[in-house]
Amino acid sequence: MIELAMLLAAAAAGFGIARLLGLPAIPFLIFAGFGLSLTLHVEPGYLQDSLVLGITFLVFVAGMELNPRRVRRQKTAAVAVGTVQFLVLGALGYAAARALSFDPQTSVYLALALTASSTLVVVRMLQLRRQLFESFGRLVIGVLLLQDLAVILLIPVVTRLPEGGASVAAGVGGTLFLVVVAYVLLRWVLPELLRRLSLDEELLLLAVLALLFSFLFASQQLGVPLVSGAFLAGFALSSFPVNGVVRGQLNSLSDFFTAIFFTALGASLGVPTVAEIGQAFALALVVVLVTPPLVALIAERAGFSARPAIFSGLLLSQTSEFSLVVGLQGVMAAQIGASTFTVITLVTLMTMTATPFLANDRLAIGLMRFHPARRSRVEADEPPEGHVLLLGCGVSGMPLLETLVIGTHRVVAVDDDPQIVERVREAGVEAIRGDAADVSLLRRAGADRARVVVSTVRRVEDNEHLLAMAGDVPVLVRVFNVEDADWIRARGGTPVLYSDAAAEGFLDWFDRGGWERPDSLADEEMEQVL
Amino acid sequence: MPDAPILLDLGIILVSAAVFALLARPLRIPSIVAYILAGLLLGPVTGLLEVGEGVELASEVGIALLLFLVGLELSFAAIKDLGRVAVVGGSVQVGISALLGAAIAYALGLPLREALFLGVALSFSSTVIVVKLLEQRGDLSETYGKITLGILLVQDLLVVVVLTFVSGLADGGSTLTDMAMDLAVAFGGMGLLVAVAVAASRWLLPPAFHWIGASSEATLVWSLAWCFLLILGAEHLGLSVELGAFLAGIALAQLPFNDELRRRVAPLVNFFIAVFFVTLGVHMDPAGALGRWPLALALIVFVMTVKPAILLTVIPRLGFGERTAALAGLTLAQTSEFSFILAGLGLSAGLIGEELLSVIGLIGLVTMGLSSALILNSRRVYARLRARGALKLFQAPHEGARDREGAGGGHGPAYGLRDHVIVVGMNSLGKRIVEGLRDRDLPTLAVDTDPSKLAGVGGATLVGNTDDLAVLESAGIRRARLLVSALQIEDANNLLAYRCGTLDVPCSIHAFDIAVVPDLREIGATHLMDSKTAGTRRLTEALGAEGIYG
Repeated sequence: MIELAMLLAAAAAGFGIARLLGLPAIPFLIFAGFGLSLTLHVEPGYLQDSLVLGITFLVFVAGMELNPRRVRRQKTAAVAVGTVQFLVLGALGYAAARALSFDPQTSVYLALALTASSTLVVVRMLQLRRQLFESFGRLVIGVLLLQDLAVILLIPVVTRLPEGGASVAAGVGGTLFLVVVAYVLLRWVLPELLRRLSLDEELLLLAVLALLFSFLFASQQLGVPLVSGAFLAGFALSSFPVNGVVRGQLNSLSDFFTAIFFTALGASLGVPTVAEIGQAFALALVVVLVTPPLVALIAERAGFSARPAIFSGLLLSQTSEFSLVVGLQGVMAAQIGASTFTVITLVTLMTMTATPFLANDRLAIGLMRFHPARRSRVEADEPPEGHVLLLGCGVSGMPLLETLVIGTHRVVAVDDDPQIVERVREAGVEAIRGDAADVSLLRRAGADRARVVVSTVRRVEDNEHLLAMAGDVPVLVRVFNVEDADWIRARGGTPVLYSDAAAEGFLDWFDRGGWERPDSLADEEMEQVL
Repeated sequence: MPDAPILLDLGIILVSAAVFALLARPLRIPSIVAYILAGLLLGPVTGLLEVGEGVELASEVGIALLLFLVGLELSFAAIKDLGRVAVVGGSVQVGISALLGAAIAYALGLPLREALFLGVALSFSSTVIVVKLLEQRGDLSETYGKITLGILLVQDLLVVVVLTFVSGLADGGSTLTDMAMDLAVAFGGMGLLVAVAVAASRWLLPPAFHWIGASSEATLVWSLAWCFLLILGAEHLGLSVELGAFLAGIALAQLPFNDELRRRVAPLVNFFIAVFFVTLGVHMDPAGALGRWPLALALIVFVMTVKPAILLTVIPRLGFGERTAALAGLTLAQTSEFSFILAGLGLSAGLIGEELLSVIGLIGLVTMGLSSALILNSRRVYARLRARGALKLFQAPHEGARDREGAGGGHGPAYGLRDHVIVVGMNSLGKRIVEGLRDRDLPTLAVDTDPSKLAGVGGATLVGNTDDLAVLESAGIRRARLLVSALQIEDANNLLAYRCGTLDVPCSIHAFDIAVVPDLREIGATHLMDSKTAGTRRLTEALGAEGIYG
């Protein structure tokens, strides 16, 4: 009980500091655990139990998120980016580890640890920035899912490498068997059971935990690492509505065990030596320097414009909670030493702490200066004048375009999605592909000499340059929040509050009694838009 | 599992608990009984499970969290609401049944101390089972439901006092002065702890939790850390873990988001308490209890007849009718999970032997099983008893007007709401919708995870995460006219649409991005609010006003 109280108190302190500094919590949970172990003695057997339980729940919940639908249209891009990043970073990580004179086996573990980026950190950042739904947000999620999957499938291989090919094959065979079982459950069994049984919350939780532990038993029998079993148990629950119904019950448990896991991890670390810190710093540099350009390059080849591509790279440049999982597996299999594990943890600490500073707009825009493909020559074209400029178009902007085209003014549209640009051009409207937050693009599109500018870009902050350079040109900005409307107004723009418009649309539907009849007019309208 | 005995043990416990609970469900056996049966199978019957240190800790955490949860339900307002009937009814019932139970046990040959202990242990009824079943039947807002709840809460307070006594006794001074000293120390410690909890609930916790409030992860960890710190304090003062956890819960119950916190803690309780009850079954010795079957049988009959009879006598004297008294009495005809906890503590304090632990366990097992059937059929049982004239003995007045549905007060923000519109997510869209509906004089219930966003919103409000079905239930979704979600969270919206579909409640969901539309349509949302297209339409109008076309 005392141990648990101490770990929870440390975790509470970690969350507090993270909140105070506005940074991701994980590094501070680890720090707090480390601080705890320096000041008080924590029973090692107890830490071991906490780590085992924590890692199980962490991986289990990660498996539940493995829903390919999240990625949607960006599947191909995600596979391309994910694969290349995984292979290149793995190879470079191995080379770097060898150069730092780690032995081959340890280097394999280090390389695998470097390949994964942190789902927990990145998803939180995308949420805060409300970018989960931008196409690059989907791309990043896809890459993260792919990395998690790759790590989980490679752990059985890596842990069995020293025992030779037959053993590896057995491990892979066992894992694949569990994959098949999980898929059968996911596809045919669990959704049906959920519908038939309609369990209350207590029983639902218990049933889910029983599934988890059954997978753990099975993986033990098959000689598959427990983390792979836990992850696949989660995967079996990842389809809608099963994952949604289960999530509410599992959230508290996973929050609790995850917090305990990171503090226990910190508490079981030794004091790092200067050599370990140096090695970790070198490996962290590999991650931070290689990931952004690599991801940016491939993302751009897959059709993304410069800023989202660069931003994706910056977002992904940290190691993951899964890197810690890899390290712990190595330690438990007695294939790497405690010192290597310390190095992995340090790399994770350094890169995760750096992420909020790296993944910010100013740095992304600053980096665009080094972009090799910036075609400054195109700017030689005389920018349009007296036109209607539409920034950010999207599917929902199409009806507006159709109205504008009928009018007498010249219309120019800007969007960063190549598919949208294509559609706009097909509709016979001038279109520029690019980033509406980029000053030189705004100039090229004649934002300062237009008759009127209409902005529907997703993030309000991206209108800053536009509003600064617009001068007397009227600027209409579509915003959702009342606070954002104030922000726009303060900078001389005219906000168009679409939450208000949507509320009116809803009340209209409500007044027509739409909720009593399943088919409503509003629905038909939407059909046309689609 | 190399290096992971904890996983193996927990795995065996949880898998068998789940299997037993699933099998017990169609038979309407409460889950607690199923867990204990699973434990009996794993321990005494097959010997499959040796309870290790980690599992022991998990089951201890289970009790602590259960008490924390009970404390979280006890807002000062609730204590005031239930008033006299709860206090008088509760203490009289506990006092008399403890004495009568002890008398029976003494008459059947137990030594006085053990007989008294047994009487006290059996005098409590099960908060968890009763609250769960009443909620399932929607009877918590009825008069008898409220009275039962009040009596149970009074019992919970008495349990805490008893636990303090027992843990004071556990320190073992056998002379009377030693015992008195121990009790004095225990009560002094309790006073100190109560003072700390009350002071914290007033000055420390509100600002601290207000500050951390943004992330529910941190809120959960902070509240658990607070709980375990108070437990440490209690242990340090020689008091029970249970008491510390309970006081920690009460201190947090006064915060505005205690409902949400309770829902967040509940799954943890469900997890750890399952471990506790299975472990309890493992420790039981049914063979030993069978050796004392006359005692067990006599006490089972006692719990199921005399306890209701006491309430049937007392409650009418406090101004309520026969029906209310009978239903409340029938509802409380079982022993409590605290009877087991108390028994476990008594065993470790050397107050009772293994054998008596098994007797208490057996009585609990049987009475809980039988009484849940009784609760689910209480109205029919009451009608039949009345028809046979079996209730004349108690001379209770026949139903007065005040005994029917309680007016006002009630539980939860959705109490009394009917045909209301639930609006989830208090962003700019949600707020506008609530305003619009209120202009039309419709009852609304606004839901958000962040209490600060609910400030200043008209109509009823509820803090909570709608991923949790319990939140929708307390929003009264089954009685609602419509659910509207203004959220910009894809998973939460999909789940809301799905749940509305299964509950047959129409819903209007915010389709904040074109990418979320196909799934929502497939799930079958009644209406989608396509905010961006609506915004574009308004932009078009604004451009018209700029004189761009026409």
